[in-house]
Amino acid sequence: MKREASDRRTVGRSVGYAIAGLLSVSPTVRLSGQDNVSQLALRLSAMTAVSGYEQAVADSLVALFPGQAAKDRVGNVVLTLGRGTPKRLVACPLDEPGYVVGNVTDEGYLTLRRVGRVMAPLFDQQNLEGHRVTLFGLKGPVPGVAAVRSTHLTRGRPAGPEAPFTVDNAYVDVGAASRADVEALGLPVLTPIATLKQPHRYGGGDGGALLAAPVAGRRAACAALVAAVQAKPRVSGTVVVAFTVQSLQTSNAGLESVKRLAGPFADVNLVAVPSQFEGTPVETVALADARAALQRIVEWIGGGR
Amino acid sequence: MRRSDGRTSLPRAQRGGRSVSYAVAVVLSVSPTVRLSAQDTARVAEAASVLAPLIESYGVSGMEAPVRETVKRLLPAWAKTETDSAGNLWLRVGQGEPLVVFVAHMDEIGFTVDSILDDGSLHLRTRGGFFSSLFEGQPALVHTGGARGDVPGIFLPREAPRDSAPPRRTPPPLRVSVGTTTRAATQALGVAVGSTITMPKRFVRLAGTRATGRAMDDRVGDAAQILALRHLDPTKLKHQVIFVWSTREEIGLEGAAAVAAALGTAPKRVHAIDTFVSADSPLELQNFAVAPIGQGAVARALDNSAVTPPAYVDSLRAVARARGVALQFGTTNGGNDGSTFTPYGVVDVALGWPLRYSHAPAEVVDLKDVAGLADLIQAIAEIW
Repeated sequence: MKREASDRRTVGRSVGYAIAGLLSVSPTVRLSGQDNVSQLALRLSAMTAVSGYEQAVADSLVALFPGQAAKDRVGNVVLTLGRGTPKRLVACPLDEPGYVVGNVTDEGYLTLRRVGRVMAPLFDQQNLEGHRVTLFGLKGPVPGVAAVRSTHLTRGRPAGPEAPFTVDNAYVDVGAASRADVEALGLPVLTPIATLKQPHRYGGGDGGALLAAPVAGRRAACAALVAAVQAKPRVSGTVVVAFTVQSLQTSNAGLESVKRLAGPFADVNLVAVPSQFEGTPVETVALADARAALQRIVEWIGGGR
Repeated sequence: MRRSDGRTSLPRAQRGGRSVSYAVAVVLSVSPTVRLSAQDTARVAEAASVLAPLIESYGVSGMEAPVRETVKRLLPAWAKTETDSAGNLWLRVGQGEPLVVFVAHMDEIGFTVDSILDDGSLHLRTRGGFFSSLFEGQPALVHTGGARGDVPGIFLPREAPRDSAPPRRTPPPLRVSVGTTTRAATQALGVAVGSTITMPKRFVRLAGTRATGRAMDDRVGDAAQILALRHLDPTKLKHQVIFVWSTREEIGLEGAAAVAAALGTAPKRVHAIDTFVSADSPLELQNFAVAPIGQGAVARALDNSAVTPPAYVDSLRAVARARGVALQFGTTNGGNDGSTFTPYGVVDVALGWPLRYSHAPAEVVDLKDVAGLADLIQAIAEIW
């Protein structure tokens, strides 16, 4: 069951709706060991883990498995189940594309530098324009807005460029009026930034069969892996469980490090949940697919193929 | 700009005439530089407490009922309102001439369902002017107006281009999916042609006294009128003032036009209370509309629909000065509800507050400006 690539089948749909309550933008949202896979997917989707800056989410996951999980020197969250042979690895990537503060203007705006591999070129940066963002600063999360031209002030003037918005045009407004204001808010260069997370359930007879959120597929996969470990499955041999960082960096440093530091492995299972609209703010997964992934992981840990 | 010596005689200045204490005290978000007096802190907190529920009410043009109910809930207990056949909310205060009208609109930009397609998705019609790219690939809410309430969905992102043509910022006409695959399944949710669509929104405080949300245009105007009414004594007005919360401004000033027709030539002045779209942004040209946020209300002396006669601008300046209210002067784009009154010989003295990022999902205001605008409305009602 080596899953280097997910099967991109269409997300199943049925009827019925509900909207999930808006979750905290904080990456330190607490996870409960009693959560089922749907709730875990929703909660993980509310968290932010800009590639290379996954520490807060990693800490939350470590806290979820007290005495069992730890962060390795790269920042992966790793735990080991069972013993003996074969030794196998099951993993999911924690990180997501995002931004860091690249500079601060005298007027108190922040300019950005993009981080992580592009997942959907058209939507990668255009989704920033005119929307809420969250900055994970030294003093905690800070809300901000990515500036956009006012519709009214474009009227009667030549049409603007039709090229998609890019990060080079992004000015983040946190309500500051000066560089000193920004410093006082604890937002230095390299502060991670992501668009606002507002996981959104829609569709389905039970009032929310679909989950839409940035990197919902990745979050649902990690939720399934968390739930599988929580289920205390029968283990065949040794199974190393890893929630990996920096998968969107060229080096894929997190996964490759686990392989070298904790391997060699007879088999590697990269958990995936199929998604639709990948790389957009409404990347959508069917929560039934997350539950199915949970079952497959449990079986695999027990030695099933 | 006119000279500041004023041309209209005014009643004696009533500086510091705010007689009602502010009950709401909310801790401000951490501000590195803004140091407000205790009174200003309370006023900003009150502005936030009135504005937040208005921002978090949904009211696409033609379906303003939720906003209207929020306005009624926020008004002082003595206020007895009426709703006309166009959906406008009226409040008459005081007696005698001259009759003065304030009008702020309740509606917001968005979409209506134009048709339900065979695959269950929704074909949309825009209501108001905005960049559709800001909605593409975002969460959606379909407001059915029925027992089923709001139905969640998504604004479908376009598919990846199949050719090598460079991607365009502007998407093709947007569609919404509510997660169904047939027209019947969508209809079963209560979604119908004419249902309105927006995206979820929240009022959020930024640093200092600033805040963000969608539909600040014109919920700030609605809030400013409410705040003014909370602080004025209706028994002490020297003439009649009508406050209107209007409908369908974004699609052609339709609600205000009905009010103007109903009142005819009776009013002497109308004050449209609406957004001053500001160029206070690194993305804007600085040719005009340069009214920085946080520096006070703005006399919207010239826009695309109306001009305030210079003598009235001078009088407005004198009123603001008499009450110590910060006031900026400028010109911006857009139309205002007051312009529907001008064919009846009614002078439009439009007022606003500076706004960044108009008609975007995250507009930005300074709450000091909201409180200041409310003070100015109160002053005009009481002494002009």
